[in-house]
Amino acid sequence: MIIDRSHRGWAIASGVILAASAAAYAAFATRHAGPSGGTPIGLMFGIAGFGFMIFVTLLSVRKKFPIWRIGRTQSWMRGHLWLGALTLPLIVLHAGSFTGHGLTSVLMWLFLVVYASGFYGAWMQHTMPRKILRRVPMETIYEQIGHVRAQLVDEADTLVAAASGKLEVAVPVAASGAAELATVMRVDADDSAPLREFYLNEMRPFLASPSGDHPLAHPGTAAARLQKLQSLLPPALHGAVGDLESICEEERQLLRQERMHGILHAWLLVHVPLSFALMALAIVHVFGALMY
Amino acid sequence: MSGSIALTIDGREISVPRGTTIFDAARMHGIPIPTLCHQQHQTPVGVCRVCVVDVGARVYAAACIRECEPGMKVKTDTPPVIQARNTLVELLMADHPSPCARQQQSGDCELESLAKSAGIAEPRYARRLSPRGRDDSSLSIAVDHEACILCDRCIRGCDEVKKNDVIGRTGRGYTAGVGFDLNVPMGSSTCVSCGECMVSCPTGALTNKRIVGTELGDGDPPEPEWILQLPVFKGVSGTFLELNKGALVKRHFAPGDVICREGEFGSTAYYILEGSVEVFIATPIGHVKQEDAQAGWFSRIRSRLADRQEHTRDEEAARRWIPIDASTDLPYDKPVAELGAGELFGEMTCMSFHPRSATVRAKTPVVVLEMLRNVLDVMQKNKTFRAELDRKYRQRALETHLRSVPVFASMPADFVAYLRDRVELIRYSPGEAIVRQGDPADAFYLVRLGFVKVTERRPGGDIVLTYLGRGSYFGEMGLLGGGLRTATCTALDHVDVVRIAGEDFNLMLSRFPAIRASLEEVARERSEMNRQRVRATEQVPIGEFLTQGLMEAQSLLLLDLEKCTRCDQCVRACADAHDGVTRLVREGLRFDKYLVATSCRQCRDPLCMVGCPVGAIRRRNSLEIIIEDWCIGCGLCTRNCPYGNLNLHPFDVEVPDPAKPSRMIATTRKKATGCDLCMEHAEPSCVYACPHDAAHRVEPLTFFGTMLAAKDQGRTGNTAATSK
Repeated sequence: MIIDRSHRGWAIASGVILAASAAAYAAFATRHAGPSGGTPIGLMFGIAGFGFMIFVTLLSVRKKFPIWRIGRTQSWMRGHLWLGALTLPLIVLHAGSFTGHGLTSVLMWLFLVVYASGFYGAWMQHTMPRKILRRVPMETIYEQIGHVRAQLVDEADTLVAAASGKLEVAVPVAASGAAELATVMRVDADDSAPLREFYLNEMRPFLASPSGDHPLAHPGTAAARLQKLQSLLPPALHGAVGDLESICEEERQLLRQERMHGILHAWLLVHVPLSFALMALAIVHVFGALMY
Repeated sequence: MSGSIALTIDGREISVPRGTTIFDAARMHGIPIPTLCHQQHQTPVGVCRVCVVDVGARVYAAACIRECEPGMKVKTDTPPVIQARNTLVELLMADHPSPCARQQQSGDCELESLAKSAGIAEPRYARRLSPRGRDDSSLSIAVDHEACILCDRCIRGCDEVKKNDVIGRTGRGYTAGVGFDLNVPMGSSTCVSCGECMVSCPTGALTNKRIVGTELGDGDPPEPEWILQLPVFKGVSGTFLELNKGALVKRHFAPGDVICREGEFGSTAYYILEGSVEVFIATPIGHVKQEDAQAGWFSRIRSRLADRQEHTRDEEAARRWIPIDASTDLPYDKPVAELGAGELFGEMTCMSFHPRSATVRAKTPVVVLEMLRNVLDVMQKNKTFRAELDRKYRQRALETHLRSVPVFASMPADFVAYLRDRVELIRYSPGEAIVRQGDPADAFYLVRLGFVKVTERRPGGDIVLTYLGRGSYFGEMGLLGGGLRTATCTALDHVDVVRIAGEDFNLMLSRFPAIRASLEEVARERSEMNRQRVRATEQVPIGEFLTQGLMEAQSLLLLDLEKCTRCDQCVRACADAHDGVTRLVREGLRFDKYLVATSCRQCRDPLCMVGCPVGAIRRRNSLEIIIEDWCIGCGLCTRNCPYGNLNLHPFDVEVPDPAKPSRMIATTRKKATGCDLCMEHAEPSCVYACPHDAAHRVEPLTFFGTMLAAKDQGRTGNTAATSK
């Protein structure tokens, strides 16, 4: 979620809570040695912080039931961001410091990791969608990437087969109009040999199992190779080279989309499980503190 | 003036009755004179001049029209005569597409035979530069103007022999040709496809069309002689029936046999010869209703079929008839009707390939004629058949048809009886204009069959205002307003309309003020809707916006791609809200930073409505697209939607077991569904569930207005800066 002007209310409320907490802390600290978890005000900070943590964690549950009419999910998300941001100061005020022993130390470190990953995630959500929009104009549904990739291989196979004869790979004979769309003409086998060789040895492996390390994954290298290939071919096949270049570009965009999608969502692999671990340990901490 | 006269032809002294033409005199005495434009049973016109003979005068005479005179010395085969004749044939051959269709089919093109016998292989003269074209609009007769030699035999066949008066001469000199009615395509003319013109034509200009490879399979193809004995086939060309023998079959059905099923695609129509059939809609009638499965906050929407008794939409209270592809409509409360001998059903399926609108089951032992499109076309043009169909329509269906229109529901029976013989039943071919904008409004129209496109002419092009199907009406705005048509109404496919003349319409308004008030209200609503639409078009001149069809939408689901994290919560929410069947796909066109998701746009030009065989998809007064209870799940609307935004939603329902009607069995039936905006709630589930404030349902013109205006301003500014 992008934090924009529409968050003003939340920002003000969070600022007020933070300022009030800091003021209360300061007032308490001037009279006492500073709150710890056991003091009334420390306990208050702990309860508020833990309450916020519970609310923040419930976002996952909210998202599991998207059509429950219990407030718009974006409102929950706003709460997640702002109240989540408040938890660290409140817990620090509760603890009185960043340090601790045993469980509290583990809790604090875990908390810091979750907090940091949350900030990283928020930053990702601010920046990455824009980058995807700009850098992947041919973006498809993430789950469909495999299917689109298979279509690209079929299309390229058909294109090359139409230009230079049947390939020695399983090529769908009646390809869906790709041959008609392709700007190729059938030429003598000898003339089309470089195209065939390039396709079978370089491009098809790239399309079949794409990797960022492949030369064709880099636009500059790919352009140079295709230019070189074009110089070896008769003009009738230059159109086919252009079509192959487009296919390579689409494949590169798919690779880019996969990578960016991964970056956009990978932090959740850290943030979500550690959040639940944190909650579990926090509950243990609460019970432990209350019991002893 | 009576008695015989003596003359000499090619040295032979002969005697013939006074008034005999040279051509006839020669023929009577076994002297052949070639001709192209003349036939024995037609009035001679002497236009081809191929029959020229030397009568000793300054110029050669056309034997077919020149009468014999006493003492006349006629020479038919002197070298100069033959040379003159050959020159004429050679000139005709120069423009003739040899071999023409007739020569290819049967090898008996008279012109080409003549040319061959005269030894004319390749004409020395140049072909005409501008082609005269073909006319393939008729389903039974192919017209190749290139092969026409302007002999007028078809004209005389049509006018003199059959008295149909359809064909005539058009143009002059170089542009001369034959035309149909007021020079309209043959398929749109009043041609009854009797075939006389084809029989008369000496070349391949008019030939039979044969449906190739689509002959009806099993069944009993009757002999043409038998068919011609049926009154409804009176006057139909026997040659046509012979050539299209497999396109018409006789079928027998036992009581209970299903003749056709609703939703199926087909290409044939049925004419009942004997017995009676039951026409009904087997798909359960009910809305796809969204409702909360549990009350309160933790609610969950679910889709289900709501029974019609259980839930009726407000505006449906007055609608009591379901339009189908037959001469009658089905009552909404009990959608069953009976058709008997002499009735036709499946016309729209046959002519426009719409899905079957209802299931038809034999009630008694039934004999039907099942026919393909070309045969139906010939039948429909047959005056006897047309008159019989129209008579039945006036008797049986006109009243229910009129009453199916809510504003006419209260019309007294005596006025319906008054209208019964006064209304005109008119048929229009695809693309034909029924009324034109700006013309005087002289009639009111009720759509009986097919779909009508309503457009308004504006600077920059026509704007589609709406589509009207069976049961809709038009023409009231012009009659109620200033007396001029406010829009053009064009037949989208084969359209039948009921035309109520202006004076009858006005009489109705004066006698029934309630009808007048309702019509004025409808006219006001339509006028406002049209104004809104035109305003929308004028406000948004941006190319890409138009190209993507966004202007057509009333409501778009947009995903802000700068905010969207591609988490698919929107799709999940939609699926959860609709029994696991999502009505949106996070894919589609992009406009600026927005993705226009695949979800119903509530288009202003709802192409999905075109062709619905039972008229089940329509607009609500709020312009929202709504699917009626009686949707038969044929899926035509889902295919028609240009954006892929409508789906078929399967439901488990209980229906009577065909083997044992008293027992109910579970089966799956489909109903078309589109985004319903989760009307049960204040906000669509997809938007409600988006955690990132990226999904929005918007009215595109308002939403994009500012952006487009800013862009436009920016462009203007740039241009100004450049010009400075």
